[in-house]
Amino acid sequence: MSAHEIPVPIKQQYFTPGVKVVFAVFLAGAVGVAYRFLYGLGAVTNLDNGYGWGIWIAIDVSCGVALAAGGFTTAAIAEIFHKEKYHVITRPALLTAMLGYTFVGFGVMIDIGRWYNIWHPMLPDMWQGNSALFEVGICVMTYVTVLYFEFFPIVIERFKSRVNLPAIIAVLNKPIDGILHIADKVLRKIGWVFIIAGVVLSFAHQSSLGTLMVLVPTKMHPLWYTHLSPLLFLISAIAVGFPMVVFESILASRSFKLKPEVPILASLARYTPFLLGLYLALKIGDLTIREVWPYVFEFSTESWLFMAELVLGVIVPMIILSIRKYRRTVGGLFTGATLVIGGVVLNRIDVFLVAYKPLYQTKAYFPSIWEILVTAGCISALILLYRAFVMIFPVISQPEDEVAGRMDDTSVKANFSKAR
Amino acid sequence: MISKKYMPAVAVVMVLLLSYLVSGSDISQRDSQGPKIDCQECHICDVPTGRRPCLKTCPRTAMVHQAVKHDLSEAPDSMLLDELVDEYQAVHFNHKLHAEMAEMGGDCVTCHHYSPKGHIPPCKECHGGEENPNNLNQPTLKGAYHRQCLSCHREWSHDTKCVVCHIPAAGTTIADHPPDSTDIMGISHPVITEPVKKVYHTPYEPGEIVTFQHKEHIDLFGFRCVDCHRKENCSYCHDIQRPATTSKTQEEVHAICNDCHIDDECSKCHDVKERPGFSHNTTGWPLNRYHNTLDCWACHPTGKRISKLSKMCASCHAGWSQENFKHAVTGLRLDEVHSEMDCSDCHTDNQYDEDPVCSDCHDDDRTAESAPPGMKIKHPGTQSSR
Amino acid sequence: MSLGRRDFLGLAAASSVTLLAGKSLANEQQLPKECKDACAVLVDTAVCIGCRKCEWACNRQHNLSNQDMAAFDDKTIFKIQRRPDDKAYTVVNEFRDPSNPEKPYYTKVQCMHCLDPACVSACIVGALEKLPNGPVVYDAWKCIGCRYCIVACPFQIPAYEYDNALTPQVRKCTFCTERNLAEGNVPACVEACPNEALTFGTRDDLIGLAHARIKAYPDRYVDHVYGEHEVGGTSWMYLAPADFKNTELPELPPDRIPPNTENIQHAVFKWFVPPLALYGLLGLIMASKPDKENEQEAEK
Repeated sequence: MSAHEIPVPIKQQYFTPGVKVVFAVFLAGAVGVAYRFLYGLGAVTNLDNGYGWGIWIAIDVSCGVALAAGGFTTAAIAEIFHKEKYHVITRPALLTAMLGYTFVGFGVMIDIGRWYNIWHPMLPDMWQGNSALFEVGICVMTYVTVLYFEFFPIVIERFKSRVNLPAIIAVLNKPIDGILHIADKVLRKIGWVFIIAGVVLSFAHQSSLGTLMVLVPTKMHPLWYTHLSPLLFLISAIAVGFPMVVFESILASRSFKLKPEVPILASLARYTPFLLGLYLALKIGDLTIREVWPYVFEFSTESWLFMAELVLGVIVPMIILSIRKYRRTVGGLFTGATLVIGGVVLNRIDVFLVAYKPLYQTKAYFPSIWEILVTAGCISALILLYRAFVMIFPVISQPEDEVAGRMDDTSVKANFSKAR
Repeated sequence: MISKKYMPAVAVVMVLLLSYLVSGSDISQRDSQGPKIDCQECHICDVPTGRRPCLKTCPRTAMVHQAVKHDLSEAPDSMLLDELVDEYQAVHFNHKLHAEMAEMGGDCVTCHHYSPKGHIPPCKECHGGEENPNNLNQPTLKGAYHRQCLSCHREWSHDTKCVVCHIPAAGTTIADHPPDSTDIMGISHPVITEPVKKVYHTPYEPGEIVTFQHKEHIDLFGFRCVDCHRKENCSYCHDIQRPATTSKTQEEVHAICNDCHIDDECSKCHDVKERPGFSHNTTGWPLNRYHNTLDCWACHPTGKRISKLSKMCASCHAGWSQENFKHAVTGLRLDEVHSEMDCSDCHTDNQYDEDPVCSDCHDDDRTAESAPPGMKIKHPGTQSSR
Repeated sequence: MSLGRRDFLGLAAASSVTLLAGKSLANEQQLPKECKDACAVLVDTAVCIGCRKCEWACNRQHNLSNQDMAAFDDKTIFKIQRRPDDKAYTVVNEFRDPSNPEKPYYTKVQCMHCLDPACVSACIVGALEKLPNGPVVYDAWKCIGCRYCIVACPFQIPAYEYDNALTPQVRKCTFCTERNLAEGNVPACVEACPNEALTFGTRDDLIGLAHARIKAYPDRYVDHVYGEHEVGGTSWMYLAPADFKNTELPELPPDRIPPNTENIQHAVFKWFVPPLALYGLLGLIMASKPDKENEQEAEK
């Protein structure tokens, strides 16, 4: 293991040429969102009475939830199973999860027709325990709150004893600082409640997301219609958690010209082949029990996508990540992780869009340019916020000596040491 | 350590697997009860009477057996249907015209599915009357009228506008509509003539010509038009949207013939030239004037293929004997001498279809033709042969 | 109703031996008792003449597009197959039996008002509800517009006001609940039908009536009351002169749809025991000491 690493805010220029491109995409998406809120879903989307859900649900929400699984999986391994060495990656994963879920919420808000009623599932007289979507909704709402609580210590760490508001409101410096101190103490004591809750809530809604389409037996393609769907969703979400951390960690280190944490990431990626193996076994068992293998080999669009999902998204990364030689290179790690993520994304799109066949539609749904722009805009916004957060808050860990040499603000280091 | 590590996952897997089993599907079974047959099957009340049978919607087919053929002269020429006077003017229903058209099809029962002897009840006597409100089994008067009218009327015009029959009352908002000149409403149907025969040229090469003896089939077998012209309702000729030609499969072309001729060879109907109609003479049993008036089934067993019958009189006329047979029905009243003789004295070996033998008594080569044993008569008695 | 199902599930989860035997029983018993006496409509497509008066009546009842009657006399519209939408809760389509193509017949489609509706089970806030007297009704005030009902409906009925930016609603046949069916009123379409192809009554009566008609006129109908068993039964049922495959009514299994997900939901969240157990388990693991052995074995 390399020298002791501590998380610090990254001091670099925010806008690089790449970031400017992302920002442009974000602006285009923002126009799409504005257009949608002003003129309605019909003006922006290709949705109709046959296809009630499009890519905003399939990608923004369903893939968003799955890919934010890095948060609870790393929290579980580092905090619950006490694998201390993974602490360096919990913060980036937590940040991704927090931002990811925030955008899931935002994605839902864009997609639902009466967005101002989004809080309705919280009202006890509207609770609808029969609905898997209600379960997803309430869990996501709770979990996003839990994530904010989990992230709050990082905010405290950044600002405690250093609250420095400008001008008149400077009088509030003291009280706010006091609140931060109290919050720090309380959260230190009860932090574990949120960590475990985060895992349980994730288990619940990751699986319930898979339950959603189980309600549509007559309109689903047999390759994807299975009562095991919730379990498959859960396992695949757990499986994609670490690859997602690997993926974003490598990307972030590239972007900030840092050294990728290859040993830690490789060690994390060890678990992935087992989880993928479990997923593959369940999937094969499910196909066999339901006797739908013929559909796999009918070489239709559906069967090709299904095979791509399993071969490229599960089997190939399973092989890459289980070979130590590949796993310990940046290229191998990145390829393996990207394939797993691609597999999960493809799976979610397949379940929500490809497998779903309305009764009377002659033409399959394809997202409009605005739908694609809004989705791309959301992803861009996520990237931009992530970049901003890691520059403001101590999220990404760097070797202690480097930090000491570079950072003028030693209190960060001091705080972190205390926290440990 | 491993087990501890995976316990949560194992727990969730188990819970979900269990739920998977629970939610598996199977088809629930239903008890099927056999039908109960009792008075309530057709009657609503406990004591049905002739005046008030309180019938459920019995199937029309089951009621038709009570139908009695009524003469057209009994029927009213026209009637006014004025239940909706608030919204529409009364509908002038030309009963006579419709009855005439019904005669081409199924007679009065086309509409009057319940028409006992004497009194034909009008629709409103049963439908929508106060005696059986909310009877799900029976359309109300509105439904009954509309079904009678529209199920035919829409078939040729495809028009279901209210104003086709209902002229809006003054002051209502319903738009009037100009009369449609293509509509056949109100026009008497010309008399349909029955052809004697129809000659078809078919693509069947070994015998391209089929001669269908139309009149013969009607006369011999007593067919009504609708027995064969089943689909030929009003719209068959008058449908404004009817496609110009409809190609039929070989099966469809032969369907009606095959009702009876299913076991026949092609050559039964197909020939290279036009055929004459059937004559009993060709069978070796020219029909006499008595037999000529009978329909085929009086002698040939019904429901079976027509085949050769025994020529012995007694095979049909089982009751005939020396005592009760009046020879006059053959066109010859026997004189006193011959009437005292035994039948077999002249008709040796009971061969009644062959010439009687005179030479047993007479030596002069006479025959029954040259010297009749009695008086030939022109108008014989009628009863004995029937 | 849902309570009964939950209780049943508890038993089933506890004892997997009685699982299969108990389930078919449950399928039969757990429909609300009122369903048998609930309002229903029988559509006799052999009697329907395709006059579209039901469409007109529905349009007028719900102030949908406010076209006058003449607009509904247009028969050319049968050239295309239409679907109910937010401007027409019911539509009539023309079909032809391939074995008797000269005589078209008509199918009126609208919400089937399933006995155990998938849309009601799907709805995240209970904005859709199956009333004891039959109708499946919608409460726009509760609705968040997630459109899960549209995804879930096996008949593809709920329609969305996609063009409404601020207050879009899910639109579908209301069974004319607003006409107060309990007081002897019938839905507007039933009232308007000149041929009385639509019969309004209690579900049990109508099933009896439908089978009686089939028995009385075996030549006129196929022996199938559509909606008697489809997806566990629907409040709108159909008779037809030819196989329902010719029509737009989908071929559906007799199984109720909601148990597919509700059984999973109720098993996983049974009295919150599984989540709480998971929570407890993770708590125990967290409270136990860090596992030094595993630390060492970690890859370098």
